[in-house]
Amino acid sequence: MLAVILAVLVALFLVAPIVIVVPMSFSTAISFEFPPPGYGLGYYAKYFTSEEWLAPTLNSLVIAVGAMVLTMLLVVPASFGYVRYRFRGKAVVNLLLMSPLIVPHVVSALAYYGFLGRAKLTGTHLGVILAHGVLAVPVAFLVISATLKGFDQNLERAAMSAGAGPFRTFFHVTLPVLRPGMLVGALFAFLSSFNEAVVALFIGGREAATLPKKMYESIRLESDPVIAVVSTLLVSAVVLGVLIAVFMRGRSVHAS
Amino acid sequence: MARGLSVRRPSTAPAWLLLGPACAVLVLLFVVPIGYVLLLSVTDPRLGLAHYQRIFTAPVYTRILVNTFVTSLIVTGLCLVLGYPVAYVITRRPGRVATLLLTIVAMSFWTGFLVRTYAWLVILGGKGPVASSYLALGLGKAPQLLFTTLSSTLGMTHILLPYMILALYAVMKKIDPNHLKAAASLGARPGAGFREVFLPLSLPGVVNGSLLVFVTCLGFFVTPVLLGTPRDMMISQLINQQIEELLAWGFASAVAVVLLAATLLVLAIYNRFAGLDRLWG
Repeated sequence: MLAVILAVLVALFLVAPIVIVVPMSFSTAISFEFPPPGYGLGYYAKYFTSEEWLAPTLNSLVIAVGAMVLTMLLVVPASFGYVRYRFRGKAVVNLLLMSPLIVPHVVSALAYYGFLGRAKLTGTHLGVILAHGVLAVPVAFLVISATLKGFDQNLERAAMSAGAGPFRTFFHVTLPVLRPGMLVGALFAFLSSFNEAVVALFIGGREAATLPKKMYESIRLESDPVIAVVSTLLVSAVVLGVLIAVFMRGRSVHAS
Repeated sequence: MARGLSVRRPSTAPAWLLLGPACAVLVLLFVVPIGYVLLLSVTDPRLGLAHYQRIFTAPVYTRILVNTFVTSLIVTGLCLVLGYPVAYVITRRPGRVATLLLTIVAMSFWTGFLVRTYAWLVILGGKGPVASSYLALGLGKAPQLLFTTLSSTLGMTHILLPYMILALYAVMKKIDPNHLKAAASLGARPGAGFREVFLPLSLPGVVNGSLLVFVTCLGFFVTPVLLGTPRDMMISQLINQQIEELLAWGFASAVAVVLLAATLLVLAIYNRFAGLDRLWG
């Protein structure tokens, strides 16, 4: 019983700060004041009309989609190669694919700042997409290779022995079975870029400033309350996503 | 891909065809840039190990190293103490409470660092709920909470706690409840059953979670900058400062290499005893 009380208290500690941003977003105060002195939609209006906030939002979406595509293009074939074949140097390949997870982000950020700077790619969408795409490789690789390991290859053998060619087998048997894992991997890659702050901070510049970069600067330099609106929108998206996941999980538990 | 399906004749050519692009991109766009940092650290502005000597001998910098290490230890300890009961309850009391807890953990896991850092700025700020409850309770003006060691430690703990809980939970859910039933049927009280059976079996989770939190904390940047004080600067802040304010590429690179080496050292120790695969798997 004691454990349950403790757990609930810790859960409150986890959730309370996330909930607090919601009333803040409807505040009329000109600074970070809680409880708000009055309520209104002023900062929502400001967010949805200000280029200063909408541009980073758009940048973040574009960069996260770009990074996700790049990650998937690299990781999907790599996972097949890694899981289905035995070859020399497998451990090294594994280490290479996982290395972006091992190196602290601030070190990667410095490295990209220097390296992409030389290639004149700092402050461009392409530069951030390349960096984020590479940094998302480990998490996507973990998810997709795990899915692939759980795949029963007898399904493919059955399809082939029933006369399906390799391409047909791949697109009609392999891919449909692996689709949920691939989607999760892609989602993780997207979120890894969308939430990433440090590398974006170093190499985003003005042109490719992402939402986390803009939030960082707005806290550091001006205490702009519009950040509460952005936070509320982000939290709502997460809540929606998690509820959908919990619901799906509940359904699959009931079904099985 | 087509070739990948024929498993009878094990040739490694298709494996390299499939892995080639990923490996090439990672070498070109990750290993090379990191190598460039390594190179800069010993060549900029001139060849030698002067930067490293400065990092390990100048008290300003050794203090930052020690502070980063100590802060990471404290945050790891706090995450463990706070996270263990949550993971325990999620594992041992399946049902509504567990689902609710897991939902909350997942929510905070996916909420970005900046949203949560901003929330702490509000909570601990001069016009925040803590300050106003001080006034309401007649305790007078609240002490300075923001931009202190306390606020940055609290912020980092809050952000890393979900990682700890998920790492603990991943191990705990594999513990067979029959072990505990067996202990109970042999006369062990619940307390003893926990101490003698559950706790030892959950230790791999404790190690995994602590490693994850500790290593992430070593390189933490955003939260200590926004919530902490320049007095207890962390390594990553030093890197940023050297680049942003001084454009000291060589020195910043050397600090980055030290941070990387410290991280690798911790991981190597873990790998020696547990194997890194267990952390990722």
